[in-house]
Amino acid sequence: MNKKLSQQIAFSIFRIFGILVVLILMSILGFIIYNGIQVVNWEFLSTYPEEGMTSGGIFPAIVGTFYLIIGSMLFAFPLGVMSAIYTNEYAGNGWVVNFIRMMTNNLASIPSIVFGLFGMSLFVTQLKFGDSILAGSLTLGLLALPLIIRTTEEALKAVPDTYRTGSLALGATKLQTIKRVVLPSALPNILTGLILSIGRVSGETAPILFTVAAYFLPQLPSSIFDQAMALPYHLYVLATSGTDIEAARPMAYGTAFVLIVIVLIMNLTASFLRRKLEKQ
Amino acid sequence: MDKPMIEAKDVNFYYGDFHALKNISMQIEANTVTAFIGPSGCGKSTFLRLFNRMNDLIDNTRMEGICSVDGKNIYDKKINIDELRKQVGMVFQKPNPFPKSIFENVAYGLRVNNIGDKKFIAHRVETSLKAAALWDEVKDKLHQSAFQLSGGQQQRLCIARTLAIEPSVILMDEPASALDPISTSKIEELVHDLKKQYTIVIVTHNMQQAARVSDKTGFFMLGELIEFSDTKKMFLNPDKVETQNYITGKFG
Amino acid sequence: MKHNPFIRKMLEKITEQILRLSGAITSITILFICFFLFKEGIHLFNNPDIEKGYGLYVHSRNPTIQLSPEQTKKVFDGELDNWKELGWDDKNISLFRIDDAFEIHSEKDLGENYELLPQKLSEIISNDESIIAFLPKKYAPSGASVKELISENIKIGDYFLGKEWLPTATPAPLFGVLPLVLGTLFVSIIALLIALPLGLGVAIYLAELAGEKQRRLLKPVIELLAGIPSVVYGFFGLVVLAPIVQKAFGIPVGETALTGSLILAIMALPTIISVSEDALRNTPREMREASLALGASQWQTIYRVVIPYAKSGISAAVVLGIGRAIGETMAVLMVTGNAALIPHSVFDSVRTIPATIAAELGEAPLGSAHYQSLFLLGCILFVFTMIISIVAEIISKKKNYKTH
Repeated sequence: MNKKLSQQIAFSIFRIFGILVVLILMSILGFIIYNGIQVVNWEFLSTYPEEGMTSGGIFPAIVGTFYLIIGSMLFAFPLGVMSAIYTNEYAGNGWVVNFIRMMTNNLASIPSIVFGLFGMSLFVTQLKFGDSILAGSLTLGLLALPLIIRTTEEALKAVPDTYRTGSLALGATKLQTIKRVVLPSALPNILTGLILSIGRVSGETAPILFTVAAYFLPQLPSSIFDQAMALPYHLYVLATSGTDIEAARPMAYGTAFVLIVIVLIMNLTASFLRRKLEKQ
Repeated sequence: MDKPMIEAKDVNFYYGDFHALKNISMQIEANTVTAFIGPSGCGKSTFLRLFNRMNDLIDNTRMEGICSVDGKNIYDKKINIDELRKQVGMVFQKPNPFPKSIFENVAYGLRVNNIGDKKFIAHRVETSLKAAALWDEVKDKLHQSAFQLSGGQQQRLCIARTLAIEPSVILMDEPASALDPISTSKIEELVHDLKKQYTIVIVTHNMQQAARVSDKTGFFMLGELIEFSDTKKMFLNPDKVETQNYITGKFG
Repeated sequence: MKHNPFIRKMLEKITEQILRLSGAITSITILFICFFLFKEGIHLFNNPDIEKGYGLYVHSRNPTIQLSPEQTKKVFDGELDNWKELGWDDKNISLFRIDDAFEIHSEKDLGENYELLPQKLSEIISNDESIIAFLPKKYAPSGASVKELISENIKIGDYFLGKEWLPTATPAPLFGVLPLVLGTLFVSIIALLIALPLGLGVAIYLAELAGEKQRRLLKPVIELLAGIPSVVYGFFGLVVLAPIVQKAFGIPVGETALTGSLILAIMALPTIISVSEDALRNTPREMREASLALGASQWQTIYRVVIPYAKSGISAAVVLGIGRAIGETMAVLMVTGNAALIPHSVFDSVRTIPATIAAELGEAPLGSAHYQSLFLLGCILFVFTMIISIVAEIISKKKNYKTH
């Protein structure tokens, strides 16, 4: 075939593919936002579900997801950051680092439902936490660990070695160097990772199915050993197994809208942070 | 004088705001070897890459003036860039064979130009490798990876690859800078032989090399063509004091 | 205090140990997961192949010694209704369950604590040569004319090669994972067939053609696609895509393997795009320049030089894309219809491994065979994804040719 023609055909196809991907996202976002925005108002966000979840609001699910975000990050963020500091700053380049890296990579590839099974077996049953915010947070935390570790490691690697040698040459200890020089300059990047993890954790359903999520609760959880409602599970319930699925549809649109908005905000904040960093 | 093979008229070139080539005019005759010398960053490579429009690949650049090869303005809108690059071959600073076999490396330029005749390709691969003085060394391992060859062999392979598409001009961008002295002298011999058939323009930072291989030499500095004349004259009796300084090592 | 060099040194040491511990915890988490899944799952094979605490009883003249779980299921479903089919005389099988005893006998007959029940059951069985009774062992009938069929533990082969997944069937639940495994692979591979050309095309566009402006639009779009929660994809698939598929192909329901594959394809796109774009970008500039300088067009350069050079990275993208699809739970659960049957066409309803776990674990009693079988499914999924991630690692490290 003619060289020029085949190039033109190929390139137009790729261009169309690129447009197609944008259109896919737009149609998903557009659909959810268009339908959701008609439902979401202050009342929807601040009241309990009513009449078999066909009206009212999603307040307890928002609160539940909020608790789960806090719980999982309290557990996973320090652990992930410390683990990344260890591999990047202390462990050198031997097999230990390779082993830890390999394990975190593999952890990242495990499907979320498997985390759910593990959480149920260890936290709910073995450690007798029961279906609880504690069990759910730990399970979600484990899921977020690889993401936190990877972003933290990248953040630490981006800190120039001259900072470290400079500080060490002034007589600072390794710990001081990390605390005063390395971490402060890596912090914005580490926070980007934290924000992305929050986005990830707030949307996960499979890990919380058997560890915390409640179909409906008439009151807010009062301790970490209580069950909680959560936005993604609530959406699943509304979409597939409510008492009256058709009547619950507006509620489902509203819930999906709130979920999407959370993810959008997290992503935008993260990319805003990143862009700000690049400019510096 | 015959019509020049390569001609540049009042050429200016910019990388963004940076004025890289300033008002350069030059004429290069067919079947000659022309060397460009000058300190690094003087614009000699940029100037070379104008003639197969390699600079097009760099974003945010601008070219003014006229460049022509074989009487045709190569920056004309109607020009087919692929065809131009077939006519004006190029050998790069670092040997850059493809991750393919030796044979496929040489055949590549034919294949992308829709030549499918196997006998013809085999024949052309052989003549090109012979012309690049590589045939004897590789004839038994044509289908092995090109990465097995030494750096000097790789560079001669890249030259063979260029010869295979029968260009009329060959641009060489410091072709021996990454090679050891023995490989370098082989390349230089090759350049000398190729002159019979091709017009060769070679950029080099090595003045002895320029003196050894070229008929004419152009000296560039800070984006200007300071002097352009016969190599012998240039090295023995340059017109400009800057050239004198550079050649005698007082500069750069 | 901080100026005391000894304390300072101690602090340094302690911190280092704490950091090391965190590293250790994260790296053994995966072993923990593996351990707990297998610990729960492996017990499945310690369960009898009929319901725990129950036995099958026949008349002693009946020569049958043992029934396979499938035969048991067929007998009690009425699909097998003559002993001839099981190698005995031509007699119709009469089924008997414990509930039937209460229809024949009043509660008085059976005694206050059903202490008379075993005797009555013995009578019932000895009176009917063609009977097969499914009874709790607690009230096991005895006597010369009663024979208990041998029950074995659930066999590994029946689990991995069984074609029926009926975990709640009585008296013999069937745990054949083949339909689930095939269902999972089926939707994932079709998803990949859709996503690969699209993803690779977009990756080429991003790496080779797009200007700064287009990249700045596409990059966040792809990140957002990766960020949308899977339950939202599932919801979208359920409400929008399923009806479209149903109408477009004129099929009775829209929840099919194809619908699942389409959603999975969208979800796998970001992985495929970003991994293969990185691979394409890694092709050295010199390769491209050399090809262009030989008169190749940009497209020829891409498919003859850039793509072959990036082959290993692109293969890694494929493998990771499959991994993403195989493990996906919620979206698939919501749009594939969840029939545990071996799929024959893309318009069949299928059920994947993750969807099965998600749908059934809530109903399976803790520690039951069903519960354990779901953990074993988790193990299969775990092994699948481990293999995939290791393969991806190996592929992406492998270079097509050594550079020097």
